[in-house]
Amino acid sequence: MPVLVEEPALLSKSRLRSDFVAHNVKLHLKHIDHRNAAEFSSDEEEDVQDEAEEKPEEAEMPDPSGLTDDDLKAALLRHGFKPGPIVASTRALYEKKLRRLLRSNGHNLLNAAEKVMYSASEEEEEEEEEENGEDDDAESGAEEEKQEAAEQSDEAQPGSSQIGGFFYPQCFLPSSRLRARASRNKEPSPAWNSGNALKSSEQSRPRCSQIPVGISRASSVDHRPGLGSGVQAGSQTVAADASSSFTSPVFSITEMVEEMESRGSLSTSSNTVREFNGSNGQEHCSGSSRLDTPVVDNSSMKNHSVYCTPRTSPHKRGMKPPREPVIDTFKDLLPAETTPTGIYATRRRPIKGAAGRPVQYAYPDTPFSPTTLERRVVERRLVPIHIRFLFFLVMACILYLIYELV
Amino acid sequence: MSSTSQKHRDFVAEPMGEKTVMALAGIGEVLGKRLEEKGFDKAYVVLGQFLVLKKDEELFRDWLKDSCMANSKQQKDCFCCLKEWCDAFL
Repeated sequence: MPVLVEEPALLSKSRLRSDFVAHNVKLHLKHIDHRNAAEFSSDEEEDVQDEAEEKPEEAEMPDPSGLTDDDLKAALLRHGFKPGPIVASTRALYEKKLRRLLRSNGHNLLNAAEKVMYSASEEEEEEEEEENGEDDDAESGAEEEKQEAAEQSDEAQPGSSQIGGFFYPQCFLPSSRLRARASRNKEPSPAWNSGNALKSSEQSRPRCSQIPVGISRASSVDHRPGLGSGVQAGSQTVAADASSSFTSPVFSITEMVEEMESRGSLSTSSNTVREFNGSNGQEHCSGSSRLDTPVVDNSSMKNHSVYCTPRTSPHKRGMKPPREPVIDTFKDLLPAETTPTGIYATRRRPIKGAAGRPVQYAYPDTPFSPTTLERRVVERRLVPIHIRFLFFLVMACILYLIYELV
Repeated sequence: MSSTSQKHRDFVAEPMGEKTVMALAGIGEVLGKRLEEKGFDKAYVVLGQFLVLKKDEELFRDWLKDSCMANSKQQKDCFCCLKEWCDAFL
């Protein structure tokens, strides 16, 4: 319909320009002049020739807004999209469409393919003039690919570091990993003085440093040689029979601590350890007996309540000499005291309502949270709830009466 | 009559003639005003744009969004309205 085609052409130049600006089209004055003069019914050949003379043809890909209508159309066709007439009102849309297609293609294709597209027909001269827009798209596409590759390589590295270097896992390992690790440790266990033991001790050190919940690490190295025998005995035997001790992750802390101990206390006091071992070797994991023996032997140490973490299945008896003395909840271990592993645990605040626990520390009143304070301030200002409720009832009655009377 | 508005049904029922752009479904006062400022003062001008875009939904919706900031629902309504009108009368 000729009427419709001319409609946009009848727009005034200023209006056309404003439309272009609104559509974010770069104004190429020559193009506009052409369009206005030609009224969209001019020969396309004339346009092409004129523009070809005036301005060397740009690369299509870089800047859709710099393309001629025909180039834009060709570019869209190349991307598999059949456009309608590219006129003033549609040009912006087709440029946007082309950008969208280029972006999606940039993600899919590699740079090589893009270069192939670039080298098609007209662009060789204009590679210099490649605008930022398209380059950004292409580069962003390339960068994204590079980033993905980098990310993948980064992801691969931590995985390999876990596999290659022994491992630095979290504290609570699944039992299977513990077993695997235990089996590995079993081999160096006879050779306590070997380099392997030291190495594994160092490796286990960072692990144990991850132990959460209030266990603070003291200077373990200094304190280790001065430890009592009971702990070392326990740790040695436990380490020796490490494989059978893993039934649940709960053991992991104590187990690791024991192993650390075993590494650290290789040469010193081995005799005493063995003696102690002999005396305790047969004991199974019953709380009371184990509590007693360390008290007797480690009278010098204040932490007398050594206990193994669970009451576990009978198959573990024989390998349960007292474990590393977890800090008693009833006693705060002073820093001056030395624990076998140098790990100190401070007592946590007693839980409110904890049954039967003596309150050791008089904690000051809990500081109120800001929200509590705010709520109190607000509530002081507002009318209290029961008054509000009463008021509501009163009003309801009044309204009811009114309703009845009327 | 499932999900078309009354406006839609009214528009599609007869040739548009000289109806204003606000007679289109999805185009209310505000959007109509914006379109008129752009020069699309009659429904047939918008029809023209629709046809020039070869009745392509995506392009027409983009155009609506750009020219009068129509939201997705308005775009959809207008597109459906024009499409149905064309199916009936073009």
